[in-house]
Amino acid sequence: MELKPKMKEIWRVRELSTLVILIIEIAFFAWYLWPETDRSHPFLNWSNGILILKYSSIYGIAAIGAAMVIISGGVDLAPGAVIAMSGVVTGHLLVVSGYGLPVCVAGGVLVGLFSGLISSALVVLVRLPPFIATLGVMGITRGLAFIVTEGRYYDLSSKLPPGWRPAGVPADWLAPIVMVLLAAVFQILMKNFQWGRSVFALGGNETAALFSGIRIGRVKMLVYTLAGSLAAISGVILVLVQGQAKADLATGYELDIIASAVVGGASLSGGRGSVAGAVLGTLIFGVLRNALPQIPGATFYDRLIVGLVVVVIVVMDQLIAKKSREGR
Amino acid sequence: MRRSWILSILLVGLTAACGSGGKEAKGTKYRFAVIPKALDLPVFNYARTGAERAAKAIGNVEVIWRAPETADQLKQKEILESFITQRVDGIAISCTNGDFLTETINQAMEAGIPVITWDADAPKSKRIAYYGVDDFAAGKILGEEAAKLIGGKGKVAMITSIGAYNLRRRLDGVQESIKNYPGIQTVEIFDIKEDTVRCAEIIASATNKYGDLDAWISVGGWPIFSRNALDPIDPKRTKVACFDTIPPGPDILKAGKAQVLIGQKYFGWGEESVRLLSDIKAGKYPTKTIIDSGVDVVTQANVDEYIAQWQKLENP
Repeated sequence: MELKPKMKEIWRVRELSTLVILIIEIAFFAWYLWPETDRSHPFLNWSNGILILKYSSIYGIAAIGAAMVIISGGVDLAPGAVIAMSGVVTGHLLVVSGYGLPVCVAGGVLVGLFSGLISSALVVLVRLPPFIATLGVMGITRGLAFIVTEGRYYDLSSKLPPGWRPAGVPADWLAPIVMVLLAAVFQILMKNFQWGRSVFALGGNETAALFSGIRIGRVKMLVYTLAGSLAAISGVILVLVQGQAKADLATGYELDIIASAVVGGASLSGGRGSVAGAVLGTLIFGVLRNALPQIPGATFYDRLIVGLVVVVIVVMDQLIAKKSREGR
Repeated sequence: MRRSWILSILLVGLTAACGSGGKEAKGTKYRFAVIPKALDLPVFNYARTGAERAAKAIGNVEVIWRAPETADQLKQKEILESFITQRVDGIAISCTNGDFLTETINQAMEAGIPVITWDADAPKSKRIAYYGVDDFAAGKILGEEAAKLIGGKGKVAMITSIGAYNLRRRLDGVQESIKNYPGIQTVEIFDIKEDTVRCAEIIASATNKYGDLDAWISVGGWPIFSRNALDPIDPKRTKVACFDTIPPGPDILKAGKAQVLIGQKYFGWGEESVRLLSDIKAGKYPTKTIIDSGVDVVTQANVDEYIAQWQKLENP
């Protein structure tokens, strides 16, 4: 095979193009924020890298689930509320009920699992559009979190040992490590296993998937349940690392999570996307969120810039996809 | 590859348009991060004016004004942590949730970055000082003024935003003073989550529900941040005592929609914070940990005088 077609083939790997965008973004901010004085670099330093990973992972873990739902042709508006509710339940079990950490973590994750099950039941059994079903679940879940807390917050830090190191790693690394592990598992599952291909087939053409023998109801149930569970894992880690559980945590995060999946290559019409791309999408947003405030005068511009970046990436992605189809 | 180029061009263009350039100026200019609770709360615009004015007057200070768009404790913590990794020279913060930020404030102090709080404190943290009102005392004043308005008896509803330490203290102060009036009954305490639209909605719905309400007591300025939030209230039947005096608050008071406003030193939040940090960098530490700014009680009797004073502060 000649080098040029081979390069073209590599470039078609969607995750690679998202990775290139991320690298260009980091290189750009490293250059733009380069200090002229003898100060250390405000953006390109180890602790800032960990900081970006730490906060992006909260979105990233949930974005893995969001990407799977979007690939299957659906949408999930509940992850922000599930993050809050799972955190609140973990906090309640730990602080008020006094259970051990494994029980509290399991309780928090179960909340997400049930929430996902309810969403999927509404989509599969009641046949509600996913937007409506998950909008309802979002409201119910957030409402329950407020009912449980009655506006208070749970101070988990008082129940965890000082300098708590889960499995021997610093607490700040927990979310990034879990995100990378889960992304690897689900990327392999989606790309190399029959179930993953069923999700793509379902999102690409539901009728064709049905006639080809895919049990679409079961696939949808599993996709939404996994998405709920992943959002809950994100919520549990968030409250354990941050030390506080509150009902209004992660308000509005669902849109950032969906945007990350879309920037990472997921098509809202279904059938296209990638788990690894979604995680890279959250890192693109994480870098923007971290670096833009460091630019003088950017305080009121960063929302605009983030919005434009989403639009440009998605429009370019569609143009490339169109060109690729025409070239076949 | 074309997509990546377009993204790069976009980023270069927009970031260049944002400010006067990203490279730091040479010399020993101090970079102070001043962090309000949120960018969408009008009360903090005056703090920004004060901070930038003080920076200009001092000369060797650059103010970095940064906050989440809406009050979000996690996003505020992320911003605070990013300023620690950026090694700014000082941090002045109004805490959305002081307990939540305590550990991070301590991290900043341990990293050698002086931290002061303003408007909303983190009292358990190692911050050097807090500048703002004594919230408990101010809450008591608000409660007393409200009690006076309704003759020491009747039904009252309160408005707050749960989570912020300063608001909790003000509410404690209001409740403490109201204890002295057994004839006053609190029908509800509403959490409006720092959201002025939600506040207007709650005032409208609660006015329908509690037709015999004698007074609204708000420990934050949300009811007077928009001109029409208090419209559903009949001022002859129900009185309003509210924290904050920023425009259009005094006009609303003049129009008779509110009867008592408790004002803070809004410009001072930014101005004093920057001065304190600048002094700390020069080795002059404040002698007190709590620097009480005091409050202004504005009523029909002194509202014109207050408006004139405000105009002087806004356009010196």
